[in-house]
Amino acid sequence: MTDRHDRPSSDYLNAPDTLVVVRPAASGPDDLFVAISSTGLVTAFNGHVDLGTGIRTALAQIVAEDLDVAFDHVRMVLGSTAATPDQGATIASETIQIAARPLRFAAATARHYLVGLAAQRLGLTPDDVTVQDGIVRPKAVSNRSVSYADLIAGPTIRLELDLGAPLKPASHYRIVGQAQPRVDIPAKATGAWTYVHDVRVPGMLHGRVVRPPYAGFDTGAHVGTSFIAVDEASVANIPGLVAVVVIGDFVGVVAAREENAILAMRQLRVTWQPAPDIPDLNAPEAALRANPSTARQLTNQGDVDRGLAGAAEAMNRTYVWPYQMHGSIGPSCAVADWHESGLTVWSGTQNPFPMRADLAKLLDMPEERIVVARLEAAGCYGRNCADDVTADAALLSRAVRRPVRVQLTREQEHLWEPKGAAQVIDVRGGLDLEGGPAAYDFETRYPSNLAPTLPLILTGKVPPVADVLQMGDRTAIPPYAYGNLRVTVHDMPPIARASWFRGVSAMPNSFAHESFIDELATAAAVDPIEYRLRYLRDSRAVDLVRAVAERAQWLPHTKPQTLGGEGDILYGRGFAYAVYVHGTFPGTAAAWAAWVADVAVNKVTGDVALTRVVCGQDTGQIINPDGVTHQIHGNIIQSTSRVLKEQVSFSSTAVSSQEWGAYPILTFPDVPDIDVLLMPRPDEPPLGAGESASVPSAAAIANAIFDATGIRFRELPLTPERIRAALNPLPPPAPPATAAQSGWRHWFPFAALAGLGALIVTAMPFRPSIAPIERPRANVFSAETIERGRLAAAIGACNVCHVGHDGVAFAGGRALDTPFGAVYATNITPDPAAGIGAWSYPAFARAMREGVSRDGHHLYPAHPYTSFAKSSETDIQALYAFLMAQPASPSRAPETTLRFPFNMRPLMAGWNALFLSSASALADISRSPEWRRGAELVEGLGHCSACHSDRNALGAERKGGAHLTGGVADGWHAPSLSTSRFAPVGWTAEAFYDYLRTGRSAEHGAAAGPMARVIESMNALPDADIRAMATYLASLNESAPSVSEASAAAARAIAAGVAASRPADLAMPVAARLFTGACASCHAETMTLTSLALTTSLHADRPDNVILAILQGVDAPTSSQAAIHATAASDVPVSAGMPSFRNTLDDQSLADLAIYLRARFAPDKAPWTGVNEAIARSRAASP
Amino acid sequence: MLTAAAKFRIRVNGRIHDVYAAPRTPLLYILRNDLKLNGPKFGCGLGECGACAVLIGNRSVRSCTIALSAVRDRAVTTLEGLGNSDAPHPVQAAFIANNAAQCGYCLNGMIIATVALLASHPHPTETEIRNALRYHLCRCGTHIEILAAVRSAAAWSAEAGQAGDGAVDDRATSHDPHEAAS
Repeated sequence: MTDRHDRPSSDYLNAPDTLVVVRPAASGPDDLFVAISSTGLVTAFNGHVDLGTGIRTALAQIVAEDLDVAFDHVRMVLGSTAATPDQGATIASETIQIAARPLRFAAATARHYLVGLAAQRLGLTPDDVTVQDGIVRPKAVSNRSVSYADLIAGPTIRLELDLGAPLKPASHYRIVGQAQPRVDIPAKATGAWTYVHDVRVPGMLHGRVVRPPYAGFDTGAHVGTSFIAVDEASVANIPGLVAVVVIGDFVGVVAAREENAILAMRQLRVTWQPAPDIPDLNAPEAALRANPSTARQLTNQGDVDRGLAGAAEAMNRTYVWPYQMHGSIGPSCAVADWHESGLTVWSGTQNPFPMRADLAKLLDMPEERIVVARLEAAGCYGRNCADDVTADAALLSRAVRRPVRVQLTREQEHLWEPKGAAQVIDVRGGLDLEGGPAAYDFETRYPSNLAPTLPLILTGKVPPVADVLQMGDRTAIPPYAYGNLRVTVHDMPPIARASWFRGVSAMPNSFAHESFIDELATAAAVDPIEYRLRYLRDSRAVDLVRAVAERAQWLPHTKPQTLGGEGDILYGRGFAYAVYVHGTFPGTAAAWAAWVADVAVNKVTGDVALTRVVCGQDTGQIINPDGVTHQIHGNIIQSTSRVLKEQVSFSSTAVSSQEWGAYPILTFPDVPDIDVLLMPRPDEPPLGAGESASVPSAAAIANAIFDATGIRFRELPLTPERIRAALNPLPPPAPPATAAQSGWRHWFPFAALAGLGALIVTAMPFRPSIAPIERPRANVFSAETIERGRLAAAIGACNVCHVGHDGVAFAGGRALDTPFGAVYATNITPDPAAGIGAWSYPAFARAMREGVSRDGHHLYPAHPYTSFAKSSETDIQALYAFLMAQPASPSRAPETTLRFPFNMRPLMAGWNALFLSSASALADISRSPEWRRGAELVEGLGHCSACHSDRNALGAERKGGAHLTGGVADGWHAPSLSTSRFAPVGWTAEAFYDYLRTGRSAEHGAAAGPMARVIESMNALPDADIRAMATYLASLNESAPSVSEASAAAARAIAAGVAASRPADLAMPVAARLFTGACASCHAETMTLTSLALTTSLHADRPDNVILAILQGVDAPTSSQAAIHATAASDVPVSAGMPSFRNTLDDQSLADLAIYLRARFAPDKAPWTGVNEAIARSRAASP
Repeated sequence: MLTAAAKFRIRVNGRIHDVYAAPRTPLLYILRNDLKLNGPKFGCGLGECGACAVLIGNRSVRSCTIALSAVRDRAVTTLEGLGNSDAPHPVQAAFIANNAAQCGYCLNGMIIATVALLASHPHPTETEIRNALRYHLCRCGTHIEILAAVRSAAAWSAEAGQAGDGAVDDRATSHDPHEAAS
């Protein structure tokens, strides 16, 4: 069942010692339904697929039952074009109701044949025998028996499917109707199941796609035509890159390793036409009304207009449903293997046969040469990107002639999955004089279609023209006997890419039906259930409604707010009912379902808790009661999530919800108690159970909220802010000020250069070259010296700046952004041409201390020679030895070319005259040796001030009071080391030690940005040096707290953050949800990470570090083993990194999140200003 | 910035593996592609959904956020390392007994989080259970069955009378020098 390859049907059709039940096909091989081997094993075939609903188990129960074999002798093959019959797409909950029928008759056909044959062998008639578990025995007491296996031998026994074969009466069922554990779960729970994501074929490469900017929209002239150019050089450095593939607007990359394909996808520079503006779909009503449509009247009974005119009071209502996502937990994935003779795809498609037709069209290849092997994927509830990614993989495999696996990203799945469409429903009605429904005039708008497979559209194989499908009519006819009834569907094309989602248009239509009748009941002062029963004619519906009301102990009531409340909480209870009618109008009914929902509404915050649901369902005959119950649970939880929380967000050009923070779904703390009532109908045909229980959800919950609050809500989702706006309007939050502020730094202006020019006269602008030498041999330096040099390089973190592009140590080339332009770090390996191999020690020492290169040109102070000037001669010598002992790299770093006048290197001479001093103030002999060592490291080789001191207009570190009081590195604010200016907790020597040793301090959090690399570099240092630095740094902090003071301050800051969370959540609900969905899995107060309330970045006067951390992520510093052992805890948790959200959050979300984080975690600080400018700066600084 | 591939030695499910990859490669891809383990699943790559959870020591972590170079000599346990269908770990057995999956894609994270929960809280309250799983997303709505499975697992470990019975034994190691990845 988890085979990567299902054997093709041809393996069975002519196999000896096999019985097959087939249906002759018009052309080609027979359709195969059942194959029984001479060992008695049964393989059964169904063209539908298991979407996680357990049909693999239920279908096997059906086969085992009607064949009378043991359940565990049956194996199902599902949805493979090579093996199973074409039974169309797996949709509309119809596998059991419709697609299982031929299978059931195939089992009965085989049983009828085998029992007849067995009876013959026993010398009896079929009426005289009985069969159980594949063994036929005389009914009379006897020890004789014949098994099915005994009867299958020799040439293939071929039986034609007999749709008249006798089925067993339900009263004889032994397997159907019994709870059957799912066959797939043991393997899934142990990692032994093969999902499509787990397919690996020999020689497989990894592909990723790069989608165009019109994310989530698939119609319009720009679709398939927006590609302008791709810069392949932008990915030239990716190891193992195999190809960049462009076909129209289809862009993909292929690499040998998955992480490198991801890197290539992120790095590839593609130029696109800007996406055109879209209508506002965040409040979809106007856009849907404006969308061109064709009215289609489904029914018109009685005299609606006259009824409306006669209503005591007109009740004209509009119901609005938002765009929603299917939201598969696993983004779609597929593997394709294209070769000259054909194509095999391993796909999670819901529709293997239509998928094959799409691939044939996409690749101009006959369908017979394509095999679609279907493997299970993450649940999809309608449509996800499974088909799209299958086509993506096929295109990439064809391009590289190798098998390619393509995994979509979370962002791509969110952006591009065909959405569940928004819907707008208008109902006009009212009460007649007797309190009955005067008329019911219903109009619905549903912009959705089949969502053609995306690569067909991106490559231009299918024109980007929106088909109009008649799918808005599902359950559009109300279940109640309204005398004057008119139902109209406005058929319309999609706006955003959309396709069916569980309950299709029936769920919004029923939201309107069931909300409206509830409103009629209240207006008529009749209990809502009693009122429905007056107009419900379907006896199974009536039975169900009564049974559910009884099970829930429904108390009849004629007005809301009879359940009262406690404190801020109001209680309410609501009812709704639906029979899900799907398929082409007038459609087919699936199971009936009814809900009683209990809610608790917080009238201050607007939070709605669904506390309990009693859900009854009439599914007809139940194959697997456990399976049906689980489906109902799933439908209740998922539909509750949709009703309370879910709405896709759009920018002005595209879908903007790209991850779970922007599109939150229900999580464990919010799961209601659920009581399921299954109506016993063993003699009725089985009905689809996959979606029905979702359909009443929205109205049941909205009716319960009405019961609690007396207010009707007709637009979803029922978010706290929507509820609160009606119940308890708060003043709008003060808009965050966005006034621009000048940069952190007050670099230059040019006027300052006048003074500098004057200085050149007295300084030495031109310095002599020092003659080149032969590269010193490594053996001229002692191992001891080289080791000391290694530590000097570690404390100097030389490789943080001088690292090569491909990671080669000291090879140079990294750009260091300065306000004057990019300064490129040079190659400092001992390569004589590209590096410093030809440098003598005096040349090296001069460069280190005076900032002059061997050839006499001045270095820019991005090279922190002003600090190195303070380091000891021994260390500089050792560093020289160490560098000369390194492998030489011939890689040449780019030339630094600053803009005028900074490109005038001789000017640096004047600069040096002003700012370079080698005077060492570190030899304070009144201090301890540890302090002095710390001072030497911090102020000398460690060159902390290069980043942690502000620089003046000429790029020089400011001295005196500004020394180590905070500066900038790579756009990051390097906080003050001499005052705890922003940190909510003062720095102790212990905290400095933990931070420098392990990259994190319990009271300050983790190192991020360039500092993380510095910490890694310092892994090499002995503990004594780290302690020395901590001692020196703590001594700079005059107000350094004691350890107990620090923990008290930390506790206060955390408590302030906790206290601020509720007002922050209330003021910024969208950002609060973003935090919960995107950040809290690591940053919730209950997690082991240091609280964000202690993070200096959130208390700083600028938001840059917070924004940079979100954009770039944080590579956790890798602690050395020594560092791990040096910390007190014996079990140091592994350092998780923070992922980059650069391509996941748009600027608006980033700004909202930053403002929220400040309000929540630094509540005593003023809100940040200039957030938008900081985002622009940070994006520019984040490659 | 790109960093060159290097050799890393990691300990997964009691075996030592040498893999060759860039240091910042998320552990998830190493487990899935180099070690060919299917338990941890890619769900978001952002640490949000929990589908990729593995145990490092007795803690549940999201392997999409763990750099290969950060693992060092810590013991990594995946779903496969807990047990198999013939001899499932008690938590796996509880999930199987409670039919606690629909599509099953999130199941890995749910089981791993439960093992970690029971290691630190052998007798969890309902609130502790829900909080332990709150950042693990399930879209099929299998929450009721999953909660039942966690309660069963907790009851079994309580019956066994061994606090932290669900903890992982990572002492056994074997070294297969031929495991080096391509």
